[in-house]
Amino acid sequence: MTQPLTIPYTGADWATVVPMFAVAVAALVVLLADLLLPRAARRGAALVLGIAGLALGGILAVPGYWTPHAAFSGGFVEGAFACVFQEIIVVAAIMSLLLATHLARDDQVPGAIALMLWSAAGAMLMAGAANLMTIFLGLELLSLALYCLCGLGRRPSSRESALKYLILSSTASAFMLFGMAFLFGATGSVTLAALLEPAASPMLFALGCGLFLIGLVFKLSLAPFHVWTPDVYEGAPLAVTAFMSVVTKAGALAVLARFAYAALPAAVSPAILLPVWIVAGISMIVGNAAALAQTDMKRLLAYSGIAQLGYIVAAFAGTTTFGLQFGIFYFGAYAFMNLGAFAVIGLLSREHDEGSHLAAFDGLGHRRPAAAAAMTLFLLALAGLPPTAGFTGKVLILASSVSAGFLWLAVLLIVGTAISAYVYLKIVRVMYARAGGAPSRPSSSPAALLPWVGICVSAVATVALGLHPIVLPGILPLVK
Amino acid sequence: MIAAIVVVPIVAGLLCYLAPRRAEALVTSVAAAIAFASAAAVAVFRDAPDESVRWLVQPFTAAFHFGLGPGPGTWIALMLGLVAGCALAVTRVPRRRDFVAQMLVLLGAMMGVFLARDLLTFALFWDLQLVPVFLILVGWAPEGKSGSAWRYLVYNLSGGLALLLATAAYGMLVGTTDVLGSASAPAPAALQGAALWWVFAGLGFAFLIKTPVWPFHTWMPDTYADLPAPAAAVVSAVQSKGGLYGFIVIATVLLPGPMHAIAPLMFALGLIGLVYGACVALVLDDAKRVVAYSSLSHLGLILVAIFTFNPLALGGAIVYVVAHGLFSAGLFITLGEVELREETRFLSRLGGLGERNPKLAGALTIMVLAALGLPGLAGFAGEILILTGVYQAGYPAIAALSLVPIVLAAAYMVRVLQATMHGPEIPDLPQREDMTVLELAAFAPLVVAVLLLGIAPGAVARSANAIAASPAVATLSLRAARR
Repeated sequence: MTQPLTIPYTGADWATVVPMFAVAVAALVVLLADLLLPRAARRGAALVLGIAGLALGGILAVPGYWTPHAAFSGGFVEGAFACVFQEIIVVAAIMSLLLATHLARDDQVPGAIALMLWSAAGAMLMAGAANLMTIFLGLELLSLALYCLCGLGRRPSSRESALKYLILSSTASAFMLFGMAFLFGATGSVTLAALLEPAASPMLFALGCGLFLIGLVFKLSLAPFHVWTPDVYEGAPLAVTAFMSVVTKAGALAVLARFAYAALPAAVSPAILLPVWIVAGISMIVGNAAALAQTDMKRLLAYSGIAQLGYIVAAFAGTTTFGLQFGIFYFGAYAFMNLGAFAVIGLLSREHDEGSHLAAFDGLGHRRPAAAAAMTLFLLALAGLPPTAGFTGKVLILASSVSAGFLWLAVLLIVGTAISAYVYLKIVRVMYARAGGAPSRPSSSPAALLPWVGICVSAVATVALGLHPIVLPGILPLVK
Repeated sequence: MIAAIVVVPIVAGLLCYLAPRRAEALVTSVAAAIAFASAAAVAVFRDAPDESVRWLVQPFTAAFHFGLGPGPGTWIALMLGLVAGCALAVTRVPRRRDFVAQMLVLLGAMMGVFLARDLLTFALFWDLQLVPVFLILVGWAPEGKSGSAWRYLVYNLSGGLALLLATAAYGMLVGTTDVLGSASAPAPAALQGAALWWVFAGLGFAFLIKTPVWPFHTWMPDTYADLPAPAAAVVSAVQSKGGLYGFIVIATVLLPGPMHAIAPLMFALGLIGLVYGACVALVLDDAKRVVAYSSLSHLGLILVAIFTFNPLALGGAIVYVVAHGLFSAGLFITLGEVELREETRFLSRLGGLGERNPKLAGALTIMVLAALGLPGLAGFAGEILILTGVYQAGYPAIAALSLVPIVLAAAYMVRVLQATMHGPEIPDLPQREDMTVLELAAFAPLVVAVLLLGIAPGAVARSANAIAASPAVATLSLRAARR
């Protein structure tokens, strides 16, 4: 009894995936321009075309906010949820591209930009993916491009980074695929909506969910599945690290949220998801505690990112609507403050090896007051101090954890934040300490102006979102 | 206009960084003028209606809500403007432009704490005020003293985060945090059982650390000793009052039940701090630390007063909060001047300064007399009201016990005065000029305020009336009297 596997679709279905196509095609245009243009113009053209392609994708994705539509029989769901994640991905990718001028060799820049566009397209697909196949498709598109990107760094550890990422991430994908197979076996369908039906075999269903979630949590680099993150972040080029810290997470977070909120029967949902909340709680403590000892900014931000993702996932605990809205808000805020910090590191990248060693910040407050002030703002935001989006976001997450009955998560969040204050303000201290600091250097070349765009945008967004938080209505439902 | 009292100093502080470094004298004068103007604005707009801008709608409503009115916050804000103005006017530290910028941000943040009429806004400014103090400690603490910055931050941020959690929980339970507008509002019925205690624990923890109350005080002496004198003046005078202000204005009104229940514990902690602080202050050699521990002692007295819930004692507590702010700022500023002249602040190495610096000696004398509770000056007014109130509330033993440290205060305060100003001149110290007329003029508002408050504390004491008359507190003081 074999049925041909056909999925009916219409023109409206294709319209939902146009933004991703725009980004993916822009990558081809970038490569084409690299072949046709004179050598001197290639890098600039690639940057401009890449940004234009992403911006186009972002604009095309906007109307989807108001037109919820389950395309391809529920394989891809357009709506507010997908749209918000896609916009975050687009903005984060653009800001990462602004840092992409310092790769190992100049002639690699266009190729790297094309890979980043494809990776972003994969993440955008994950933002709307609502069946197991599309999820995996988006994930692989995202990851395969990143394996190459990680190896483009100037440091010797770059290749180690790429290999480590390839092996560990593939393992996680394997877990996920295994889980998907079990889920298919238990329910006979690959759409998330179908998982809501009572499973033929509850045992198989639980096992599938567990394996699937392990894979996801690995991609989100929550503790104890985080060990790969610092090494990979450290070795990868700065732009790629910045990209991974937001875009990869956006894709995985969207899938996790959709799975947690929309794909689990109410009867088993709390039990299946409890381990995820526990993992989030562990991440807050482990991430921040491990960041204490770091002297490399990329490693430090890797560990801090582990903790920040812990906060965000903790917002989903209890799967309340509030929690979803606030988690997404905090994720948007995190994107800006994190990318702002990366942009400052990018600014310093001419002076030191990628500007990522803590020593690059010695006396920065006296050498380059504006950069130090911006960095201070981003660090305060990451530490959750006012008047930033980090503060408001934490209040909202605390409120949702408390009201969902997860007081222990709220307390862990507080403890983690207290530890993280030392992590972030240690950098502030290095920048402003009286004694520290190399003698004043002349400011670097005009190429260093590009990160300033990211810094300014992030700074404005970090303060503005703190004073006027955007809590999006109409996020639910996620599947139909 | 009320919001401007908060916003203008913060914005002005950030703008300072755009001023050229050479113009630091000008920047300092402008900053002092802004601080004095903020005090004037508090006085002028004390009857102005509240100002509110919506902040959050979901999951609970919150607003950037500022107000003055007849409550204690107005008097503390007034005191803050005066103290900050005096401190800024006499500021002479290296990299003065940056220092003044941080001081202005600190001024605005602390104004926000006392003017906020929304619990979440209060929490925002409560955490915000940590940042400039941390940056000042990082940038201007003596060489090799980075520990104090961390100790300050770890303690106060723990408190701040507990406050934040409690605020979020309060908002979720009650539906709004915009609740500090009137003292007469009844305690919300939604807060009951364990939740009530969790919320109170968060608030109380933050207030205890900030005050600080023994045994949470260990951040304080280091912080005050390592901060430059103007910053130490402002932090000790005003920032640490946030805790007591929180107990009086927020916890007493919103959470009367737990406040009443923990009163015995607070009596114990307050009395320990009262005695312990006084004893330590008697023997220390570092003049700034003597003042720091004397603060611990004085603040213990205020804490005891608050938890009697007696109207007279509450009024006295507020008078003493303002009075302590005035004279502790005066002490830190004058001792800073001493240190500036002699390059040391250790009592055993100082002496005979009054010979060449009669004006400085006079200024220090007035502040010392106010601190030891000389009748006619601000300290006495607060002490007598508190002691009478505590006695009236039915705690004669506590009132009697509180007298001992007040007597000790005379001993350690006179010791500071004697060791610095009197005795023979010490020849190997650098002998510098006395205070200039301008500095003296900047200092004058503090002296006048100390005198005025000592003579006529009535208006300040009455600011507690609304709280003492609130339904929650009225039952408390009745219950306390019956006990």
